[in-house]
Amino acid sequence: MDGNEVVISMKQLSKVFTKDRRQIKALEGFDLDVKEGEFVCLLGPSGCGKTTILRIVAGLETATGGDITVRGNKPGVAGQARGMVFQEFALFPWRTVRKNIEFGLEIKGVPEAEMQKMSSQLVDLVGLKGFENAHPKELSGGMKQRVGIARALANNPKVLLMDEPFGSLDAQTRNLMQKELLRIWAATNKTILFVTHSVDEAVFLADRIVIMTARPGKVREIIEVDLPRPRDRTSQEFIKVRGKVLTELDEEFEKARAKELSPE
Amino acid sequence: MQILRDDSIGILGRVTGLLGSWRRLFLGAASLAVFIALWSLYSAWLHGDWPFAYRSWSQPAEYIPYPSEVLYAFVDSFTHRDPFTSLYMTSHIYASLKRMFFGFVLAFLVAVPLGLLMGRSANAEAIGKPLVELFRPIPPLAWVPIFLIALKLFWGPIAIVFLGIFFPILLNVMFGAKSVDPVLIDAARTLGAKRRDIFTKVVLPFTIPYMMTGIKVGIGVGWMCIVAAEMLGAVGGGVGLFIYNMAYQGTMYDRMYAGMLVIGLLSVLTTGAAGFLEQRLSRWMGMK
Repeated sequence: MDGNEVVISMKQLSKVFTKDRRQIKALEGFDLDVKEGEFVCLLGPSGCGKTTILRIVAGLETATGGDITVRGNKPGVAGQARGMVFQEFALFPWRTVRKNIEFGLEIKGVPEAEMQKMSSQLVDLVGLKGFENAHPKELSGGMKQRVGIARALANNPKVLLMDEPFGSLDAQTRNLMQKELLRIWAATNKTILFVTHSVDEAVFLADRIVIMTARPGKVREIIEVDLPRPRDRTSQEFIKVRGKVLTELDEEFEKARAKELSPE
Repeated sequence: MQILRDDSIGILGRVTGLLGSWRRLFLGAASLAVFIALWSLYSAWLHGDWPFAYRSWSQPAEYIPYPSEVLYAFVDSFTHRDPFTSLYMTSHIYASLKRMFFGFVLAFLVAVPLGLLMGRSANAEAIGKPLVELFRPIPPLAWVPIFLIALKLFWGPIAIVFLGIFFPILLNVMFGAKSVDPVLIDAARTLGAKRRDIFTKVVLPFTIPYMMTGIKVGIGVGWMCIVAAEMLGAVGGGVGLFIYNMAYQGTMYDRMYAGMLVIGLLSVLTTGAAGFLEQRLSRWMGMK
């Protein structure tokens, strides 16, 4: 990870949703730069706009205010600069593992032979060898998400956006997938922006943890996690960082609750 | 590596599974047998035959002929020309099938694009929905006179069958297109898909099983309309015409019932085939 180049730059980002004639401020004044090759986790109380940020970076939503560039471009313009992994896996049920992975390549019009080669490499990378022709419904949750990751990587994006990708997995599978993700990250040199509400997951994975405020979301605190990988969840240092993050988050959670209880 | 081959049921499970399908078959046969027995009894009562000593009701006995008479008329309709159209039953079946086929193809060609459009565009739905709601409950029978007058004996009956098949396909396709999981569309977009790709590679495949359900239901409704479609006349005969003639022109109720039996069987066969195709397709697509 050599680069200091900023891949994602967000300045004073805001997003207002209008629902039933009521305006809801999801984000207000959100600032963050993500550097090349970095692993950044977004952490915050639910409804704080974590997913909204990811969707804006992915070009699925547009910000209502502020500036955002992904490798110097507006998001959504550079279609191949981002890959996204969803909590619900979002695999196409009628496509086999291989065909799911090849979806983005198919749209780009990559020739069949090359496509096969690339998807085979990805199948190897994410550890799905032997399952190429299985349909998603035949796979376990962990395996489905392996497909999700491979599919997002197929377009060779600089940035991998992950929206609580392991949120619906059981604890063991989740820990395994976290290790797998770090392995894949090391092998591919991607920049990863990862949304989670698990403190443990964030401390295990991230270079930097961005703790967000309750709605409207902005950056409350950025915590650098300076622990060598692989990280030991039971080590003193790990627990210390974890404690620090938890304290910050608890305060934010209390604030969110107080706001909810007070009349508007 | 093979996954999800369910070996956990074991031999015992498989045997009971087999018994299960035999039981279904047995119960199905038993239900038919009981129906035929009750029918025979009722006919016997109307005819004053054994085990009843005398005619007990004033309703003409020929309204409910014996099952054996209907079976005889059924066979006879295949081996002898009917007195009104001079056609064998096979020709009637061919004519009705052809009508169903044309009606189906037309309904499919119109209903699928409309259903996709109304399922994916709120405006299209707002425009189409009131018309659908207004026209759908009108029985195809109501259209018979004007269709036959305006469209004549070839297209008139086809148009009536078309109406029967059209709405089930339209509504199912529309429902399918509406139920596309938004996260699948998001996923496609992050993978570089444009509107067109999303439509052909996400919405369309997602809708296929719904389309098949619509086809299955539509074919069933189509057969329900066939008598209405053919009753005032149809080019080249038809099972519906046969039924109508036997009842109204000839008071040959045994033959009329034989014609009804033919329609029942045709419907079972065609919807069965559509159902089989539906299952195969969704399994092949990995959807069910």
